[in-house]
Amino acid sequence: MTKTREQVFAHLRDTLVELFEIDADKISPDANLYTDLDIDSIDAVDLVLKLKEFTGQKIQPQQFKHVRTVNDVVDAVMAILANVK
Amino acid sequence: MLGRAWRVAATGFVFILFGVGALIISATLFPVLRLLAGSAARARLRIQRAMQLTFKGYVLLMRLLGLLSYEVHGVERLWVPGRLIIANHPTLIDVVFMVSLMPRVDCIVKEGLFRHPFLRWPVIWASYIPNSTGEALVRDCAATLKRGNSLLVFPEGTRSVPGQPLRMQRGAAHIALASGAPILPVTITVTEPTLTKGHPWYRVPRARPHFCIKVGEPWSPSVYNPAGETGALAARRLTEFFGEYYAAVEADNVRWGLLDR
Repeated sequence: MTKTREQVFAHLRDTLVELFEIDADKISPDANLYTDLDIDSIDAVDLVLKLKEFTGQKIQPQQFKHVRTVNDVVDAVMAILANVK
Repeated sequence: MLGRAWRVAATGFVFILFGVGALIISATLFPVLRLLAGSAARARLRIQRAMQLTFKGYVLLMRLLGLLSYEVHGVERLWVPGRLIIANHPTLIDVVFMVSLMPRVDCIVKEGLFRHPFLRWPVIWASYIPNSTGEALVRDCAATLKRGNSLLVFPEGTRSVPGQPLRMQRGAAHIALASGAPILPVTITVTEPTLTKGHPWYRVPRARPHFCIKVGEPWSPSVYNPAGETGALAARRLTEFFGEYYAAVEADNVRWGLLDR
């Protein structure tokens, strides 16, 4: 099943709310994970674990190395999903 | 009252002594202690003790030079092993004070020190912990607490910004939750802003600063984490609690006039 960007974004937003109780209104595509959403490196490990479940794929840490914003995460997840097929 | 010019000169002297002294004892005293100790475990104790005495010497010197005065309350609580000691971080020399008060304590030090040709050896022998990435750091810190050692952490991760509320990082809370160690909160209050973040050392305060170091009562894990939780949300709540505690202490300091001596 292919997923659209919108679906990935919505899932990511729900995940961030569930994992870290971040205010959903603050989660915009341009929001910076570190400065705007207060996600630290330890949180990032939890987030990647959740995304691993979501994609059903192994995720290499370097795939998320340059991630800064919510949009970057969506891009990274889209890239992983595109590689599946 | 000693003049400001004297304090600038004396501060510079102490800075140079600190830098040069660290290199000299790292190349002389510490290797000798390491060799005489035999086992790594005994070396660790002796090196930590030597760190304490060295830092005690620096604190004494700074006091004798008229650079600062200080008082410590509840110091004996720092000597109980197996505690996660957290402290606020107003000045550059907080770690010097804290280590000078404890014969045995693990510290987190800059990862770069572990690559320094001289300074790497004492930090390795003392089994200090490098400030690596979040996950590894939390794991290493929890491990040493579980082995029954005490660990000193500044939850802010860096010095406070004067005049602003403390900005706590969540690593200390993660360490507490992962280790289940009792937390011992320490409050460092300074009457004059000195050696604060972003201020050069030679801009000494108008009056001699007085340091007040108060060791609080320990918090048992059954109180700060009754449900035995771990994870991102539990760490957020505990970190908020740290922030509230330090804000309350600060409010008391203002109320009781501890800050204007």
